[in-house]
Amino acid sequence: MTTTESTLQSRRRSTNRDPIMTLRDVTVTFDMPRGTATVLDSVDMTIERGSVLGVVGESGSGKSMFASALLDAVVDPGVLSGNITYYPKNGDPVDVLDLSEERLKQFRCEAVSMVFQGAQNSFNPTMTIRDHFIETLRAHNRDPETGMQRARELLSDVYLDPERVLDSYPHELSGGMQQRSLIALSLILDPAVLVMDEPTAALDLLMQRAITEMISDLQKKYNLTVIFITHDLPLVSSLADRLGVMYAFQFVEQGPTEEMILNAAHPYTRALLRAVPNLDIPIAEMKPIEGDSPDSIDVPDGCAYHPRCPLATDECARDPPPFSDVDADHVVACYHWEQAETEIPYSLEDGGEE
Amino acid sequence: MAGTEPRQSERGSGLVNDLDTESAASTRIERLYRRFDRYVYAPAAVAYSDLRTRIGIAIILCFVLMGTVGVMLVEPAGMNEVPPFQSPFQSAAAPLGADRMGQPIHSQVVHATPAMLQMALAGIVFSVGVALSIGVAAGYKGGIVDDVLMTATDILMVIPGLPLIVVIAAIWQPEQPFVVGMILAIDAWPGIARMLRSQVLTIREANYIEADRAMGVGTGEILLSNIAPQLMPFVLINAAEAARQVIFASVALYFLGFLPFSTNNWGVIMNLAYKQGGALSNPGLSGHWLYVPMIALTLFSFGLILFSQGMDRVFNPRLRARHAKTVEQTEEH
Amino acid sequence: MNYYAKRVGQAVLTLFTVVTLTFVLYRLMPGGPVEMMQSRLIGQMEASGQAVNEQMIDRMVNLYTGYDPDQPIHVAYYQYVRDMVLHLDFGQSIQHQEPVFDVLFRALPWSVFVSVYGLILGYTANLVLGSIMAYKEGSWFDKIASVGAIFLNSIPYYVGGILMLSFLAYELGWFPTGGRYPEGTTPGFNIPFMLGVIHHAALPIASSFIVGFGGGALEMRGNSIRVMGEDYLRVARLRGLSDFRIATWYVGRNSLLPLYTKFMIGIAAIFSSSIVMEQIFRYPGMGWYTFDALKLRDYPLLMGVLILFSTVTVTGVLIADLTYGLIDPRATQGDREAY
Repeated sequence: MTTTESTLQSRRRSTNRDPIMTLRDVTVTFDMPRGTATVLDSVDMTIERGSVLGVVGESGSGKSMFASALLDAVVDPGVLSGNITYYPKNGDPVDVLDLSEERLKQFRCEAVSMVFQGAQNSFNPTMTIRDHFIETLRAHNRDPETGMQRARELLSDVYLDPERVLDSYPHELSGGMQQRSLIALSLILDPAVLVMDEPTAALDLLMQRAITEMISDLQKKYNLTVIFITHDLPLVSSLADRLGVMYAFQFVEQGPTEEMILNAAHPYTRALLRAVPNLDIPIAEMKPIEGDSPDSIDVPDGCAYHPRCPLATDECARDPPPFSDVDADHVVACYHWEQAETEIPYSLEDGGEE
Repeated sequence: MAGTEPRQSERGSGLVNDLDTESAASTRIERLYRRFDRYVYAPAAVAYSDLRTRIGIAIILCFVLMGTVGVMLVEPAGMNEVPPFQSPFQSAAAPLGADRMGQPIHSQVVHATPAMLQMALAGIVFSVGVALSIGVAAGYKGGIVDDVLMTATDILMVIPGLPLIVVIAAIWQPEQPFVVGMILAIDAWPGIARMLRSQVLTIREANYIEADRAMGVGTGEILLSNIAPQLMPFVLINAAEAARQVIFASVALYFLGFLPFSTNNWGVIMNLAYKQGGALSNPGLSGHWLYVPMIALTLFSFGLILFSQGMDRVFNPRLRARHAKTVEQTEEH
Repeated sequence: MNYYAKRVGQAVLTLFTVVTLTFVLYRLMPGGPVEMMQSRLIGQMEASGQAVNEQMIDRMVNLYTGYDPDQPIHVAYYQYVRDMVLHLDFGQSIQHQEPVFDVLFRALPWSVFVSVYGLILGYTANLVLGSIMAYKEGSWFDKIASVGAIFLNSIPYYVGGILMLSFLAYELGWFPTGGRYPEGTTPGFNIPFMLGVIHHAALPIASSFIVGFGGGALEMRGNSIRVMGEDYLRVARLRGLSDFRIATWYVGRNSLLPLYTKFMIGIAAIFSSSIVMEQIFRYPGMGWYTFDALKLRDYPLLMGVLILFSTVTVTGVLIADLTYGLIDPRATQGDREAY
């Protein structure tokens, strides 16, 4: 699935300097018998209130870890360090990593909520959907009555029949229905931020489209800030205001969606765009990205992408590149991004469907 | 974790030609070896690597040796070889003590072992054999066959075993250890049949079975070459369980005198200790008479349980070395 | 509804099978019960100088066993079953010279009392210990408890019973060595009686406990560990649910399911084992009568024991089956986790 320039233009939003969350130098490490694995490497990111951020990367690039970090929910024995700040609409900025157990519990569902990959296994098989809602409401000391009203509204918003779904057990619902119920459940406490980790991964194409549009509607209705994590670049580009491309546990490029799709700067991003399958282009012209993504314990020196990059030079192999400004709000971590345009051409033809 | 490099075909006609896992060129010998490796050698290696299996097998072997070779090495107990009720560790002739009639206990235990082994063997063969036939037939065929067989199995599972066995024993007074083993196995096979059936159900859904059937491979061949090998670990574990149950039950029945004493059994020794030696009320005097066979029993079952627990590792994906389907892969980790 | 109907139907079918089985056993024994009784009665009659009367023999056999050798098989079968089901006539005990039902029915509650208590206690211990072991996976507690559980599992319940009897009863005299209640107390709802009952039942219950306990703790531990790795646990924690809620409704409930089958098998096993146990502890429940019945070839009593034990077990399993649907909502739709 590809997007055209016209659709992209409709996504242009002005960047308002109103961050809702900032991450500075956030790192996650695991101590393994083989060595220390760094699964998130000094990540910097600013998330604007009310915007949709798409985080794109291949499997094992650290995307899910990024999501977990946002909620300070990195699994043991991972170690999360750095600075994560949350700016509530009314009130003082909150240092997420410094919260007590109690406050963290509050934070997690009431400020930032997460929808995991694979909804099939996110519900307790022995409880009805209604039980899940009520349980969550009670755990956060909300009134079940009003809470359930909101639940019904949310379920309608995700195009489910509230009465039918509430009384069902998880195994009685289809995959798509479970996914949508999970989304409704994550919104029950009215969070400001919704983090979604590959919400469409297990679904068919039509469902993917539908869910993406649905998320867009939800975002508008409830004024959400959405962080949409996926490996599917074309899919998220129709939804997101900004994109962040991750490679080897770091962000290599960040910028407004339209900018990045039309004028991607980093060689990796360009290669990704070139690798998108397309019915019209002959196979010989489709080029996957050669090489393997790095092991978290043994990241290459210098720029982590250099073993696979056609533009790599000695400098790349020695020192990790700092972020350079391509444009306002568009940054890239590469020494040779200016040459990338000519060296790695790609085109955005319409696929069969749109 | 590493991404695989997609194979580039020069002609660009697709990647199918390059899939080369089980190419037609491999010979029959190679296929047989691969099968052996996957179904016999690798699981055995994984099982053996577990300490529990090793200890379990060691214990079981001890008892088997005791019942076969030991019988020839140890003299059958004769009366008054040593003073009656002699305590253990007193003399070389009766290292584990003696009973009321001066017969060394250790030789009694040893000489009862062959009968017990026979019983256990009969129990295993019968219970696992019946369970295998019924479980596999029910699981594989499904439908009416499944319903009927499983209803029968469930009924038998619910009927309490020992009373049934007692009734049968009352009518027939079995004396042959083999027959006793068979009767005791009645209690054990329903549970095993259920378990095997659920395994077969899982295996049956596998894609390669469907492929085989689509190709017209006969049911017999599918069963033998695909399903049976995968059931092996379960069969072994259940065999150990069946053996344990049979032995437990037999000792209990002989101990209480439910079965005729013409068959040798550790339970018989315990019974005599209880009845003639007053071992319960007077453990100082004749305790050893009672407890030596009891310890033998506990030890044997301990070995069987360890073996089962160790074998458990073979098919439990969480415990097993990751993706270790062949020996090479096992050794890598 | 269909699920429940099926279960009840199966229970009835099982009982029916048992009754039929006893009939078959009576009928088809070469040199078996019927002939034995016939020869014994003939012997008795000859000894007392009475003429041997075929018809009278048959009638007496019928009286004792409920099976009439005279009639054609289908008639005899019908009468047999009818007598048993409608009139609760299980025949007459040869040694006690009383209706089998009367003899056994007196003893039945005691057997149930001891066995069921032991099973429930043992099973609860399984669940609790297994959960704790899973929670503390890898710790020294877990390792020691695992070894302990395996060891306990290798000891047959009767060995445990013997040991307890020998040391706690005979040696230390803390517990009585037999009987249901102390001599000199009058049965009824008075304190000395009830305390005495508990005192006498303590060891048998402890022995039953071993039966219930076997192996389950380890399986519970395994299940709990598996469940704890499931996604919905992580989601539950992130949703802010309390540890207690997660431990019980999420981990506990889901780990429990596969053990239910074991519990049902345990119900069958516990009554089975009471035959042995009541002998060891000289506790006059139904199992106790079995032994003498066996020795004296009191077939009617033996058959009665079989049928009554089966009835109790079937009832227990049925109750377990019906309540399983409460815990696992998938069960009533036909796909049980337990099998």
